[in-house]
Amino acid sequence: MKALIATFLAVFLITFLAAPAMGGGWYWDAGNALGFAAFAGLLYLTITSSRRLDVRAHQVLGYGVLFVTTAHIFWFMLGDAAVIEFMKFGAPDYMWHGIVSFLLLGVLITVALVPDRFRVHSDYPAFKYWHRLLAIFTIGTATYHIVASHFYLGTWYQGALFALLAIAVAFGRPWWIRLGQLRLAHIGAYLAVSAAFAAAFTAIRNLP
Amino acid sequence: MKVVFAAIILAGALVVAFGSPVANEQPVRDFYYDAPDRILPMSFAHQDHVPVNCVDCHHNYVDDTGGGLCMNCHVTDQSVWPLFEQQFHDLCRTCHEEKAALGEDGGPPRQCMACHLGDDLP
Repeated sequence: MKALIATFLAVFLITFLAAPAMGGGWYWDAGNALGFAAFAGLLYLTITSSRRLDVRAHQVLGYGVLFVTTAHIFWFMLGDAAVIEFMKFGAPDYMWHGIVSFLLLGVLITVALVPDRFRVHSDYPAFKYWHRLLAIFTIGTATYHIVASHFYLGTWYQGALFALLAIAVAFGRPWWIRLGQLRLAHIGAYLAVSAAFAAAFTAIRNLP
Repeated sequence: MKVVFAAIILAGALVVAFGSPVANEQPVRDFYYDAPDRILPMSFAHQDHVPVNCVDCHHNYVDDTGGGLCMNCHVTDQSVWPLFEQQFHDLCRTCHEEKAALGEDGGPPRQCMACHLGDDLP
């Protein structure tokens, strides 16, 4: 639970380093907070993966991250009709990276499930290799989606810190594996923490 | 899980293709201002921007880069048309962000629909 909170704090605090009270209205801020919560969940899933991983807990938490990501996407698509126009050909590249990141997350989850895993991967080491590689690409495209949009990360140092955080998680496995096998948070805890951080993020930027 | 994920993608594709079933208003891309491609409508009310110095936006008054309406150059000049979306997003959003950061009454950056419904405001 501590690692979950720490991951959320790292992701959300970077957005508050500059202009912490600035927002785009409660609807916009709440939708983006869901996106940050999904990203934090993705990082947490990566940090907690090691040899003695509780596969079932990892899998269920992956569903949670997919759920929050889906909520982030449909929140905007259904509520702000202009967003749809930024999901068509000609859209900014950071939007395409967001779409690709979501598709990669879906593939990451579905291909990891038996029996499809056996169809795609010949052995377990091959699955682990490709699963990790796909996770790195998912984190990379999601990071670009967030940083290049400049929403809440308007200064160069916020963008740099956010990118460094993502790089540290994606490529720092030899370092964070020394933390030992962290006990994975329950999906209910992840959803509750997501809701709490999203509410705080939205309130700070919108309350007078 | 495959079915759920496929259903999510299908639902997303339907919303992109046919629009949001719950959003009240939908922007319509069209050849506004004789643009060479379909663009989103834009809202801008001069009456809401009276405290802003004219040349903050109307740069042509100080750099002699053209005359008339903004769109005369920004959608017809092939050297700036490719930058149209980025330039206007940067101009509007940056100004609103800077004012909000300074605590000035400039209105916050806002959701897309707040700017992308056409209007006839002066």
